[in-house]
Amino acid sequence: MFCFQCEQTARQDGQAGCASAKGVCGKDETTADLQDLLIYQLKGLGELSSRLHRRGTPDQDADSFILYALFTTLTNVNFDRTVFVKLIAEAARRRDGLRGALEAAGEPLTGLSAAAHFAPAADLAGLLAQANIASVRAGLELVGEDVIGLRALLLYGLKGVAAYAHHAEVLGEQRAEIYAGIAHALDVLAHDPADIGLLLDEALALGQLNLTVMEALDAANTGSFGQPTPTRVRTSPVAGKAILVSGHDLRDLHNILEATQGTGINIYTHGEMLPAHGYPKLHAYPHLAGNYGGAWQNQQQEFSDFPGPIVMTSNCLIEPRPAYRNRIFTAGPVGWPGLRHIQHDDYAQVIQAAQAMPGFADTAPKTSILVGFAREAVLGAAQTVIDAVKAGAIKHFFLIGGCDGAAPGRNYYTDFADHAPDDTVLLTLGCGKYRFNSHEFGNIGPLPRLLDVGQCNDTYSAIQIASALAEAFACEVNDLPLTLVVSWFEQKAAAVLLTLLALGLRNLRLGPSLPAFLTPALLNVLVEKFGVQPITTAEADIAAALARAA
Amino acid sequence: MKLTLQTRDAVSLQIDAAPGQSVLAAAEAAGLYPPAMCRDGQCGQCAAHVRAGSYEMGPHSAAALPAGPGGVLLCRCLPTADLVVALPYDDAQLPRQSVPVRAAVVEALHPCGAAAVSLVLRLVPDAASGQAADFLPGQYMELRLPGGTVSRAYSLANLPNWDGELEFLIRLVPGGAFSGWLATTAKPGDRLELRGPLGHFTLDEASPRPRWMVGGGCGFAPLLSMLRQMASFQDPTPVKLIYGVNRAAEAVPEALLAELRADLPQLETILAVWQPEPGCTAFQGSSAEALAVALKTAATPPDLYVCGPPKMLDAVLAVARAAGLPPAQIFAERL
Ligand SMILES: Cc1cc2nc3c(=O)[nH]c(=O)nc-3n(C[C@H](O)[C@H](O)[C@H](O)COP(=O)(O)OP(=O)(O)OC[C@H]3O[C@@H](n4cnc5c(N)ncnc54)[C@H](O)[C@@H]3O)c2cc1C
Ligand code: SF4
Ligand code: SF4
Ligand code: FES
Repeated sequence: MFCFQCEQTARQDGQAGCASAKGVCGKDETTADLQDLLIYQLKGLGELSSRLHRRGTPDQDADSFILYALFTTLTNVNFDRTVFVKLIAEAARRRDGLRGALEAAGEPLTGLSAAAHFAPAADLAGLLAQANIASVRAGLELVGEDVIGLRALLLYGLKGVAAYAHHAEVLGEQRAEIYAGIAHALDVLAHDPADIGLLLDEALALGQLNLTVMEALDAANTGSFGQPTPTRVRTSPVAGKAILVSGHDLRDLHNILEATQGTGINIYTHGEMLPAHGYPKLHAYPHLAGNYGGAWQNQQQEFSDFPGPIVMTSNCLIEPRPAYRNRIFTAGPVGWPGLRHIQHDDYAQVIQAAQAMPGFADTAPKTSILVGFAREAVLGAAQTVIDAVKAGAIKHFFLIGGCDGAAPGRNYYTDFADHAPDDTVLLTLGCGKYRFNSHEFGNIGPLPRLLDVGQCNDTYSAIQIASALAEAFACEVNDLPLTLVVSWFEQKAAAVLLTLLALGLRNLRLGPSLPAFLTPALLNVLVEKFGVQPITTAEADIAAALARAA
Repeated sequence: MKLTLQTRDAVSLQIDAAPGQSVLAAAEAAGLYPPAMCRDGQCGQCAAHVRAGSYEMGPHSAAALPAGPGGVLLCRCLPTADLVVALPYDDAQLPRQSVPVRAAVVEALHPCGAAAVSLVLRLVPDAASGQAADFLPGQYMELRLPGGTVSRAYSLANLPNWDGELEFLIRLVPGGAFSGWLATTAKPGDRLELRGPLGHFTLDEASPRPRWMVGGGCGFAPLLSMLRQMASFQDPTPVKLIYGVNRAAEAVPEALLAELRADLPQLETILAVWQPEPGCTAFQGSSAEALAVALKTAATPPDLYVCGPPKMLDAVLAVARAAGLPPAQIFAERL
């Protein structure tokens, strides 16, 4: 296998990439090879779908399938080889269906890529023998590292875009331009482009598309569950039976809340599900009891301890320990061999497990944190913020956003938050916040210094806040006293990064390490052309940010 | 070598490590499960600090290593002498392979083939585990007779469930203590104490290889649980069952196997009968002999799951070795 799509990819002896029988995340060689083949198939499927979009006759089912299938290949989502064998066969079936539709419409099927003609083997052994053509590094000798790296950037960004688009879609936001854009990017990749300029342009176009996708997801979330409002979330358990819901899918959480109404079972959020508490229509369920645990990398300890079942609605899943193997359920794109998967929103088994398990015996002393500072909430306080900036009470804004992970270098983000001076405001989003969201940061006037904007996809909200501030100060976003301190881990962060680049946002620090799929030459482009800076130390980076603004 | 694991809240845990064994592997062998992800020195998940003693670090990424003196990755830390290791979390946060002691009552007991019984127990809910029958297919429980000191291991034949139901297939050994109780005294409502789940004889679900299962007598019980698991997950992995019995009448009822085949269409079963009656259509011979014949035409070396009494197990393992099956692909449980 070879995979280098995430931040924690193996970096041994100066060689970057997971290249042994098992990746750092626990993904084995078989699954990795099948994921490559699935992606290869999706390129062919996307190519045909793109043609249908251009004719104005898209196939909604095929487009939804593309989103879902791409989502399964993100880091920490699906590790179940049997799922991929099925998806590969389904991709071929759907591809043939689209080809039939194009033929019926009289479209000449010339110029199609090899991926669009690919015939996957019928069984596992045959598929594994085919995997070579689908490797992310296929064609390396021909086109060189830079092109491979840019293709990877486009593909990984696309995976992130598809994940966000899937979350929006399940809540009813289905926009033709989004499906068309995703199909287009697959179409581009299907033809193995080797033109650096074209690849860069496509990457930026994808970043722009991701802004639309994040906007659609914002519309889906707020349309379904209301505008987030500042909300205190309990972080200590209350006595009673319990279910823990992790991942990012608010729709799944909502369905679980519905299914458990009146059962006496309390629902707790885990990881990136925390921002759910800020949405009025979710907060309204009295049995949404609180938040439990922290970021994904601590799940083996937290899930072992939790006295009830766990539902993983999206990333980030890691190897389940025996202690909770039978009581962790996967939903949507998530999978692990031997774990039960929720189908058709049927939570009966989860409820049964919750009732059979002891639950929390005691109510712990109450502790809490504040969430729900999405765009409406912050812009509602815009005048206070603007006045505080003008009066000099707020000197600078730091957006410390993105993923968490196990690597020791991620302490940087804790240090950054803790060392940022008292006259600065910290906006945060993504699961990286767990490193500091229980710390005491105090207030500036009526405004808490730490504002939790939401999930990683709520970057849209953060962009809206920045744009509104820029408007209020009649300046460009880049002229605001604002620094983005981004921690990346997986492919949604790659999509967000492309969006920030497409918007021309500078003043951006990226860490804890830079993507392994980007060559030194490409990293140089990021630094020189887009003003992306690698992190150094928290103290030095804070000082540099404040010096720029001063 | 002696290892001392010190949690952040100053609890000391003593474990043994064999030469060449990583601290992580030693801890897991002792039923302690420090967080770990890659097991390859790359992710940093198993970071800790050595406070005393000497060790070597195997291949790892420098970026994954925690800062400070004695920073190690447990999956790559090989003790070369007694070691004291500080873990960055509290004792309560160190996952354990807990072995609960629980109570259950006999729910049903009836014959299963000519020489065995099927015993169904219902767990009594308790504060630690509630009503959950939580185990992995292939694992076993230790059952203690009411009021007595007799305690015997029996493999679970059913699937983990939330109703507290445990099913066993037990061969009645003439003159046996537990067997005798089952044959003469046991009745619904009797209460037993049990300890478990125990054992590491479980499915390697990530393996893409075909699964061959060889069971002798009641060694069929854990294999039945595994097959039921595969059926309930619609696991498409090719699977073959070689089921050895002394006499055809001792086999579990055919209906049970038919039920399995209905849910697991790819399942192939070979019944091997050691003392066949005239007209017997099954394979005539031991399960080891049946395996030897089947391995001759195997397209790929399968994963082998073997469970049965010692003699049968040794015979089967000898056949597997002779056929050159890699040890990592052989999973065995000795009854
Ligand atoms: C991990 C594990 C899992 C097991 N799972 C099962 C299971 O699922 N079903 C099952 O029936 N048994 C199983 N056993 C065997 C079981 O634990 C007992 O050993 C067996 O039931 C005999 O117990 P007893 O008290 O009736 O006989 P004992 O009082 O222990 O023995 C009486 C006499 O019978 C002899 N004897 C003991 N066992 C056997 C035997 N298997 N064959 C022939 N003679 C024997 C003894 O040497 C002794 O002379 C398992 C054992 C282990 C270690
Ligand atoms: S997803 Fe990340 S950790 Fe997993 S195999 Fe790929 S690069 Fe390695
Ligand atoms: S923000 Fe990124 S790292 Fe965190 S849980 Fe979500 S996908 Fe995983
Ligand atoms: S488990 Fe990943 S470094 Fe040890």
